[in-house]
Amino acid sequence: MAFSGPMLGVRAVLIEAVRTKSGLVGFAMLALLLGMVIAVPIIAPFNVVRAWGSIDPWLDNPRFAAPDWVDTFSAQKQPRTVVMTNCFTPDTVPLSDKTGPERCPGGSWTRVAVKVQLFGNATFLTMRHKFTFTADAFPSEMHMDTWARFGSNGTQISLNWTRPDGSYVILFTSALSRRAPTADSFPLSQMVKVREAIRSWAMSTYNATDSANIKPEVTLFAKADQGMLNPNTAVPLKGEYLLTLEVVGFGGDVGFDAKAVVFGTVFGVAGTDSERRDLLIGLLWGAPVALAFASIASTVIVLLEIILGAIATWYGGWVDEVTQRAADLLLILPILPILILIAIVYSPGIWAILFVLVIFGIVGSSTKIARSIVLQVKEEPYIEAAISYGAKRGRILFKHILPRLLPYTFALIALSVPSFIFLEASLSFLGLGDPTLPTWGSILGDAYTGSAPFRGFWWWIAFPAGGIIFATVAFALLGYSFDKVLNPRLREE
Amino acid sequence: MPILSVRDLFLHYRTRKGVVRAVDGVSFNLEHGQSIALVGESGSGKTSTASAILRMLPRNVAKYEGVVEVDGKNLMELENEEFRTQVRWRLISMVFQGAMNALSPMIRVGYQVAEPLMIHMDAAKDEALAKAEAAMESVGLPRYTVNRFPHELSGGMKQRVVIAMALVMRPSIVILDEPTSALDVMTQANIMNLLKQLKEDEGLSYIFITHDLGLASDLADHVAIMYAGEIDEIGPADHVFVHPKHPYTGRLLASVPRLRSEDAPEFIPGAPPDLTRPPPGCRFHLRCPVAFEKCGWVAEEFVDRLRLLQMTAQGKEGFPRFNEVEARGTQMVVLRTDSDSPETLAASFAEFVKSGRETNPFLKSVRSVDAKTKAVAVTLHEGAPPPLIGEEWRAACWLVQEATAHDTIPA
Repeated sequence: MAFSGPMLGVRAVLIEAVRTKSGLVGFAMLALLLGMVIAVPIIAPFNVVRAWGSIDPWLDNPRFAAPDWVDTFSAQKQPRTVVMTNCFTPDTVPLSDKTGPERCPGGSWTRVAVKVQLFGNATFLTMRHKFTFTADAFPSEMHMDTWARFGSNGTQISLNWTRPDGSYVILFTSALSRRAPTADSFPLSQMVKVREAIRSWAMSTYNATDSANIKPEVTLFAKADQGMLNPNTAVPLKGEYLLTLEVVGFGGDVGFDAKAVVFGTVFGVAGTDSERRDLLIGLLWGAPVALAFASIASTVIVLLEIILGAIATWYGGWVDEVTQRAADLLLILPILPILILIAIVYSPGIWAILFVLVIFGIVGSSTKIARSIVLQVKEEPYIEAAISYGAKRGRILFKHILPRLLPYTFALIALSVPSFIFLEASLSFLGLGDPTLPTWGSILGDAYTGSAPFRGFWWWIAFPAGGIIFATVAFALLGYSFDKVLNPRLREE
Repeated sequence: MPILSVRDLFLHYRTRKGVVRAVDGVSFNLEHGQSIALVGESGSGKTSTASAILRMLPRNVAKYEGVVEVDGKNLMELENEEFRTQVRWRLISMVFQGAMNALSPMIRVGYQVAEPLMIHMDAAKDEALAKAEAAMESVGLPRYTVNRFPHELSGGMKQRVVIAMALVMRPSIVILDEPTSALDVMTQANIMNLLKQLKEDEGLSYIFITHDLGLASDLADHVAIMYAGEIDEIGPADHVFVHPKHPYTGRLLASVPRLRSEDAPEFIPGAPPDLTRPPPGCRFHLRCPVAFEKCGWVAEEFVDRLRLLQMTAQGKEGFPRFNEVEARGTQMVVLRTDSDSPETLAASFAEFVKSGRETNPFLKSVRSVDAKTKAVAVTLHEGAPPPLIGEEWRAACWLVQEATAHDTIPA
């Protein structure tokens, strides 16, 4: 950047910058990012982000799900996730002590209890849930959790699956061993019992061909034909499905609740990752994190470098010499290896990384730029005039010299933001960033370790990468527009 | 008693080429309410003299001494901090060369005019601004200019702002360093009238630095002609401009183009001397058309000129035939020849000196031409720097010394 432009104030520079094409686009992109930053705490409050590191909040999401809008571009309709919510919280499962229908305040199960005094005080509870399946592809996974209350006698459940074609299959029968609020977990897709039940049902009822790779979530939703056991030949059966849970408990003090999830293959605007996390939340929070980190880092570093450079050059002598040599030294030090070393040894948070960056950026390239400008400005007649009317050196520095540097400082800050966005993303990608915050770089890093490129999970890579590119380009365009304003040779006529 | 008295002021700069003797023993007095013009070519030490008076020294000062008295108080004895708080802008202020750049582009001009007040009087911002506004009005600037930035003002307005800045502390002495250079003639006339009026109204004393003789004659009561770091002639402007005593002053005046004159303006051949090695004797003698024996010729200069002459006049009728010429010491030049005997060469050289004295003044410095066994020795007259002689009207030239034994002012 040449110091030859007309002398402009900060406001004039901003106005001129908006007039250039790149400045307009850059400002628009930045405004979009800022809008996002403002909107994010409303859409996804910070406690959602704190859940980023844990598993529980994301259990109802499908794993590796593409964004749900891919349907728009495909003839095949992808299945959505169906969550059959539990009626009560695990802590408040009530005892079924009356014969008759029961309410289900939390979900949409139909509950009917029957109490029989005759056979050792038995309680029969039936929970049903209907859902409609209209997709052209099979769900990805099925899962059920149950919460039971019982006395000294055990409780038994059986799960029945009723299909739109009228047939039904008993998926499994099991004795419950855990008491609420602890859940009994039934990963239906993985249970051998369920698979065997489906195989014998399909083979005996529909004469289906046996398959080595039976998937319950496929066969249960497949048209009744010979190929229904094989995921490659099965065809989805659309219509209304019914899930029936039958519970038998003894001793009178019996309570039961259940939640079933049929995971789809698409989710949300940005899909999910290997931990079932909603990538949209990670991406949205990546913007404020990246912007805050990069803009604080570049503002602090550029201001420090400019001010120190100006002070050193203005006072001259050994101060100048020491500052310039220090700048040379810090300029040739490779910052990334140093940060990697520090990150490995101390596993610091994002603010500690910022602090290290500032320490290593206290003097640097902007110091050199400030020096070149101040060397020229200090010879200007108005500086001589100021000395002659008795202004002290410090006053001249703050009143006459630093204001001249201000417009250039803006451009330098804007131009150095992208490099810090990149730096933060690189560190996160290497797994050395702040593990508690979802950032674009860390999502990319997870995608890489999750082999997303080879498994075709494009959304896991494209969106965080797009975020980085978008923010980088926004600031780069801004920087170029400042450059154009301040460097007349680049001016658009 | 003069309001400002400068005596034997020296300001030398240290450079890679050697010590530059920018101000070399300058003395002058400035009476209250009067103005003195420092006139000279570029590089003659006018601005350096102003810098020395205001102690605006660069880092590479080699010699800075002399006496600068304001109202009988020697400013040179003050500490830097005392000088800053007591002298700058309180006693002496300055209007800088090139008003275009003498204002900070990022600050409103009103604040710049007010700045000296805030620095020196700890004046509150409002009070300082009010005074600045008054000062700006007194130089004829409209009220609204206070809140303008320098680039919003015309050249003449900027110049007025700079003048207002110099006057805002009401100093008694103002140094005007080419206040109207880079202005068009109308604006120039405006500013000059303003300066004259301010001088009368406020009783200001000016040191007016310029290379423009017309402006100097317009504003100055006294004029000091500077050449190569020294004052050549100093006196009342009426006298100096009408009957210059020093040949340099005369040449300077003759170089001004005149209306309705067929003659081309004269110029002074050669260039101002290198101030790291100023010529001995009178510093002007190398370019002086009337230089003579006493002006301080040395062998080296003589050899240079003779060689130059030899290049253009070789082989011509009457030009002495010599092959080598070399300086020996400061006052002796040795000539050698292959063809003629030393006696013949000596005779022809003596004849050449006699006939060429008027066209080539340097030949006047020859005192004797002697034939030796193998060569011819030319001995030169000893010279010396001429003192500045006179009472009210003084000039430093040996010719003046000879012509007027005592100070006379022609009527």
